[in-house]
Amino acid sequence: MKTKTGFRLRNVCGENVIVAEGIENIDFSKIISMNESAAYLWQQVEGKSFTIDDLTRLLCEAYEVDEETAKADSQTVFQQWLDAGIAEE
Amino acid sequence: MDNEVKTLHIANALLLPEVIKLLNEGHTVTLPLRGYSMRPFLENGRDKALLRKAEDVKVGDPVLAEIHPGHYVLHRIVDITGEQVTLRGDGNLGTEQCQLSNVKAIAIGFYRKGRETLDSIKDRKWRIYSWWWVRLLPLRRYLLFAFHPHIPRRWKKKS
Repeated sequence: MKTKTGFRLRNVCGENVIVAEGIENIDFSKIISMNESAAYLWQQVEGKSFTIDDLTRLLCEAYEVDEETAKADSQTVFQQWLDAGIAEE
Repeated sequence: MDNEVKTLHIANALLLPEVIKLLNEGHTVTLPLRGYSMRPFLENGRDKALLRKAEDVKVGDPVLAEIHPGHYVLHRIVDITGEQVTLRGDGNLGTEQCQLSNVKAIAIGFYRKGRETLDSIKDRKWRIYSWWWVRLLPLRRYLLFAFHPHIPRRWKKKS
């Protein structure tokens, strides 16, 4: 799995937002913003290949969470990225 | 972690410099609009502007300008003399002044009334509206009132 090329995380006015730099138009009426933990994961894997296990490991390293919960959350967040069109299998 | 759609309100002084940064990188930006100063064509909270970096602006263009540090307006240019630009919002009677260098972006079109199609400033609709609206300036006060009756409510409505 990887993040789609051209999608970068930017901090705009305190919000972590995904900006599609490859696309000409940036639509501020429809932006994707991430909470702190999702933004952290994205930053770690942006532009690289990764697996659910990688996300799980990253969550366990940074947060006080058990592996099972981390894995479930990783799957959820990856599905959200897929649905939002910012990542691919 | 769940998906939700929410509306973020960000102060112009914080958001617009970021928008301008993106415009200077060569992007266009779609920006939701607030305020009444571009009535009757544009309405508060309802419409969006498609912005491009400002280059060779002329009288009649709707532009995004920084008229004081951190204070931005999206108004129509009514005069350019040398470097001095005079702006007047279509819904306003008063004007603002700034330098050409303060004009950061031009609105090349608008998405109005929830539509996905752009009302471009090159199209007849905008040009005909502009021609009439600018010419009717002496009557603007009355026309704005007719479009948007604004009598403050004095008594509480019976429910």
